[in-house]
Amino acid sequence: MSDLITDVLSGGVRGGTAIMLAALGETLAERAGVVNLGTEGCLLVGALAGYAVAAETGNPWAGLVAGALAGAGLALLHAALVIWRRADQFATGLTLMFLGLGLTSLFGAAYVGKAAPGFAPVEVPLLADLPLLGPVLFQHDPVTYASYLVAPLMWWWLRRTRSGLLVRTAGERADVLPLYGYRAGLIRGSAVVAGGALAGLGGAQLSTAYAHAWFEGMTAGRGFIAVALVIFAAWRPLRVVAGAYLFGAMLAVAPVLQARGHALNQFALDALPFVITLLILAVIGRRTLRAAPQELRRVFESSSTS
Amino acid sequence: MTATAPAAAPVLPETTAPSRGRAALSAAGRWAAALLGALVLFCLLLAAKGADPLAVLSGMVTSTLTSPPTLEQIAIKAVPLVLAALAVVIPARAGLTNVGGEGQVVIGAVAAAGIGLALDPRLAGSLVLVLLLAGGALAGAAWAGLAAALRLTAGVNEAVTTLLLNYIALDVLLYLIYEPWKDPAGSGQPATRPLEVAARLPLLAGTAVHVGVIVALLAAAGTWFALRRTAFGFRLGVVGGNPEAAGRAGLPVRRLLLTAMLVGGALAGLAGAVHLAGVEFKLRPGLTTNIGYLAFLASWLVRHRPLPVIGAALLLAGVTIAGDSLQLDSGLPAATVHVLTGLVLLAVLGWTRRKGSDR
Repeated sequence: MSDLITDVLSGGVRGGTAIMLAALGETLAERAGVVNLGTEGCLLVGALAGYAVAAETGNPWAGLVAGALAGAGLALLHAALVIWRRADQFATGLTLMFLGLGLTSLFGAAYVGKAAPGFAPVEVPLLADLPLLGPVLFQHDPVTYASYLVAPLMWWWLRRTRSGLLVRTAGERADVLPLYGYRAGLIRGSAVVAGGALAGLGGAQLSTAYAHAWFEGMTAGRGFIAVALVIFAAWRPLRVVAGAYLFGAMLAVAPVLQARGHALNQFALDALPFVITLLILAVIGRRTLRAAPQELRRVFESSSTS
Repeated sequence: MTATAPAAAPVLPETTAPSRGRAALSAAGRWAAALLGALVLFCLLLAAKGADPLAVLSGMVTSTLTSPPTLEQIAIKAVPLVLAALAVVIPARAGLTNVGGEGQVVIGAVAAAGIGLALDPRLAGSLVLVLLLAGGALAGAAWAGLAAALRLTAGVNEAVTTLLLNYIALDVLLYLIYEPWKDPAGSGQPATRPLEVAARLPLLAGTAVHVGVIVALLAAAGTWFALRRTAFGFRLGVVGGNPEAAGRAGLPVRRLLLTAMLVGGALAGLAGAVHLAGVEFKLRPGLTTNIGYLAFLASWLVRHRPLPVIGAALLLAGVTIAGDSLQLDSGLPAATVHVLTGLVLLAVLGWTRRKGSDR
C-alpha cells in the first residue's frame, strides 16, 4: 500500500511538471491581465519542438531551448492579436490551440515513433534515500529538479522586483502605467510571451523527459487544466505547484493501478482530474474570484461579442 | 500575419466619415487582405515542409469542388456544424462564451445512442428517431446547464468550465463504448450496436443528404428570428451589452443567461444526435471529429450572426473535406488543414473589424 502511494506521488511529480510549468506561465500572463487559452497549443508546439530538436541535434538540452522558443512564438501571436489588434482573448486563444494542433501534425508526422535522446532519472545523492520523500522528489530527471525552482523564483520576482511590480500593475491598474512612462501593452505582451515560453518548456519536458516520445495531441488537455488550475490557485505561484502535483497524481493513478494488474476502466479515471477541478471551482469559485487581478476580472466578466 | 495590416489600413481615411459604399469596400478589402495573408502564410508553411503549395491548394480545390458526391459530403458535414455554431451564437448574444460545443455534441450523441440502444427494435423506428433527437437535445442542454449553473452560483467563467466539460464528455463516451455499451458482435474498433435502419434520418429524395440539412436551416432561421424579432432576443442583447444596466432596468439577468446557455446546449446536443442518426449510426471513438471546436470558430468567423453562420459552416466543412483529400493526394496529415483554418480565423479576428470597434 505504501508502495502504491509512493508510486502515485512520484508519478504525480513527474507527470505534474508539464502542467505546473504551463500553469505558471498562465499565471504570469494572467497577473498581467491577459488570459491565454492557447496554453494548450503552446504545450503542444513545445513538446514537438523539444522532441524534434533533441532528435536532430542529439542534445536534449537544445530541445528544451527549442521548446521554450516555440511556446514563446505561439504566445507572441496571441499577444499581438490581443494587445495590438484587440482581438477577443478566448477566441484567439482557442484558435491558437487549433493552430498548434495543425502545425504539430504537419511537422510532427516524421517524428512519430522516432527515437530521440531524452532525460533519464538521476538520483540525488543522500536525499534519494529518504523514506517517501526520496522516491517522490529526488529520483527524477534534471528538468524536473530544475522546475522545483521556477515557482519560488516567480513568487519572489513578482513580489520583490520592480519588473514584477510592473507586471502586477498591468494586471491591476493598467491605466496608471502611462503616468509613469510605461507602456501597458509592452509589459503585458512580455508577460504573455514569457508565459508561453514556460508552457513550451513544459511541453518539452513532457516529450523528452516524461513520455520519451512524440505523438499527435499528446498534451491531452493539460493546457486547459493549467488554465483552470490558475484560477483555483488564486493566481499564486506556490499554490499552482500544489495543484499541478495533485493533477499529476490523479493522472498517475490509472497507470500505477494497471501496472499492478488491477483491471479497471481507464476512462473513468481519466475524467477524474477534470471532475475534481470542476468541483473545486464550484466550491471555492466565488471566493477566489475576489483575488483575481482587476483587469482580468474585466475579461472574465465582459462579453465575448466584440 | 503582420504583413496584412499595412495592406488593410490605408483604405480608410481616418479623418473623413466614409460613405456607406466606401465603408463596405474597405471592409471587403480588409477581408480580402486577411484571407490572402492567411493563405500566403499557409503556402509558406507547406513550402517549408517540402510540399509544393500550389499543387496542394489546387488539388484541394479541384478534388473538393468538382465532384457532386464531395459537394454532398460537404453539405452533410456542415449540418452539425451549423447547429453547434448556433450553440455559440445564442450564448454570445448574452455575453457568454460557450467553448463547450464539443462536449455538448458528444453528450447529445451519447444520449441519442443510449435511447436507440434501449428502444430500437421495440418501438417503431420513426418514434425512436424523434425520441433520440429530443433526448440528444435535452442532454446537450443539461451539459451546458452545468457550466451555466457554475457561472451563476460560483461565478466561475463559463469558457473555462465548458472546456473542462468537453474532456469529461469524451471520457464518458469512451467509458461507455469500451465496456457497458460495447457491441459484442463488433470487430476491431470498439463501438456500440448500430441504429436500426428505420431509426436513422431519412435521405432527401434523389440525394445522399439526410434531412438534417432542413433541421439545420430551420434552426438557423429560427435563431435569426428569435434574436432579431422577439422580445427574448432583444433582452439577451441588452444583457450581453451591459448586464448591470439590464439588471437595473428590471430584466431577469440570471434567468436570461441560463436560458441562453440551455438553448445553446440543446442545439449542440441536437447536432450530436443528428450526426449520430444521419451519418455515424453508432458510437465510436473520434465520433465528433472536432465538430464543437470547428463550430466555435465558424461562429466567430461571422461574429455570431445566425444566417451567415451557414456560410461559415459550409466553408469549414469544405476545408475539412479538402483535408481528407490532402491526405490521399499529397500524403500530408489531414489535420494540416487546421493550420489553414487557424490562420484564417486569426486573420479574421485581428484584421476585419470595423474601425469604430477598434478603438
